[in-house]
Amino acid sequence: MSTDPKAVEEKVIDIVANQRRVDPSTLSLDMKLEDTGIESIDLVEIIFAIEDEFDIDVPQDRDAMKLETLQDVVDGVQRLIAEKNAA
Amino acid sequence: MHRVAITGLGCISALGHSAAEHWQAARDGRSGIGGITHVASELLQIKVAAEVRGFDPAGKLSDAQLISTDRYTQFAILAARDAVADAGLAFSDALAEETAAIIGTGIGGAVTIDENADRVYGQKRPRMHPMSIPKTMPSAAASYITMDLGLHGPAFGVTSACSSANHAIGEALWMVRTGRARAAITGGSESCLTYGSLLAWQALRVMATDTCRPFCVDRKGMVLGEGAGILVLERLDDAKARGARIYAELAGTGLSSDAGSLTDPSSEGAALAMRRALKDAGLAADAIGYINAHGTGTGQNDPAEARAIHLAFAGRGREIPVSSTKSMHGHSLGAAGALESVITARAVAEQVAPPTANFTTADPECDLRHVPNEAIEIPIEAALSNSFAFGGLNSVLVMRRVS
Repeated sequence: MSTDPKAVEEKVIDIVANQRRVDPSTLSLDMKLEDTGIESIDLVEIIFAIEDEFDIDVPQDRDAMKLETLQDVVDGVQRLIAEKNAA
Repeated sequence: MHRVAITGLGCISALGHSAAEHWQAARDGRSGIGGITHVASELLQIKVAAEVRGFDPAGKLSDAQLISTDRYTQFAILAARDAVADAGLAFSDALAEETAAIIGTGIGGAVTIDENADRVYGQKRPRMHPMSIPKTMPSAAASYITMDLGLHGPAFGVTSACSSANHAIGEALWMVRTGRARAAITGGSESCLTYGSLLAWQALRVMATDTCRPFCVDRKGMVLGEGAGILVLERLDDAKARGARIYAELAGTGLSSDAGSLTDPSSEGAALAMRRALKDAGLAADAIGYINAHGTGTGQNDPAEARAIHLAFAGRGREIPVSSTKSMHGHSLGAAGALESVITARAVAEQVAPPTANFTTADPECDLRHVPNEAIEIPIEAALSNSFAFGGLNSVLVMRRVS
């Protein structure tokens, strides 16, 4: 799976935009997830789409990974991909 | 309308293979949560569950029963037999004609579904075992109980996710109250600790990876359980006439729907069910001396349930002891209300409120009178047992002391 940073950023934004039914251009990495208007059900679906897309497992423990902004999500995904590749 | 008594209890859970073991462990604050052994847990993020351990139905069930029952049905048959023996009830022809069997379950034959999926899609084998349909159907437990005990009364399965058992018990209460049945075997059963189910639960991201700490500030989520709980219900008059031991009166049932979010509970919906249960039982809020909470330990349920209790018991929300025994037997989904009803009936009979195990520090958002780690002896004129399910389906039972 590509770990090209730009590709990961675009994919994460696409996934969130798709869930929110908005144009990706309306989202930016510094935005907080909660400000994109998502509800708790949206969050689990976004995480599922990310896990499925990148074949990674986001930890069950909510405190294990900071997911406040879209940048946090991208950073988290990069870290999980790197951990997976190293294993 | 007849008043209804609980005269027999049967149970199989992570806490033991009898209602006595189940209650004793709960009373002692001993948790049955441990490492998952049914499934290779290295494949899962969830590593813990409240499994029924050492269950061996061979020798207790006939060959015909063994070949045609899912694990969930096996739990139910054996718990039902124990409950009837516990009640000291012998079914005359007349009584067998009029005894109902109403058994809740969330999924039904989950183990069978999982094994068959693997066989057909994984192993690509071109045929399934002929007993697949009977094993899978969520009415199987009710059917098999009627067959095992020789009952001819009304019988069916009931389903409402985590409230299935309370809904089943509530229906059975109404049957005996109104005379549609003279007695009832009721409760719930569930066994869905399969690889597929565990993956599905993981995806909801409400699961704890350590243990279940309802109402605690450091709670991490739910822990799944499995098992069956069965109650024998009779008219209070019949029970007294035959000198039966009566655990408690099953005094009321209250139902409501949240009509809100699929997974986020509504305090108003839960409070409505509690108020309706009290009204159905003809009891004032003051009469309640203990609440067995739904208390799943998720971020969402616990504070919402605490707020609901404050709404339903205005002014007394901090006085009534509340505990979640899911901390010990896990969340057994369609069996949850039944495992909890067995405990609540014993709590009322013995005037002891069982604890919430694994308790550390209360979450300030769950501003209740908790029972941390150790049971308390306390006057309980009546108790509530709460079930609040996904999809906003709520069912609350009231049990009352019989002197």
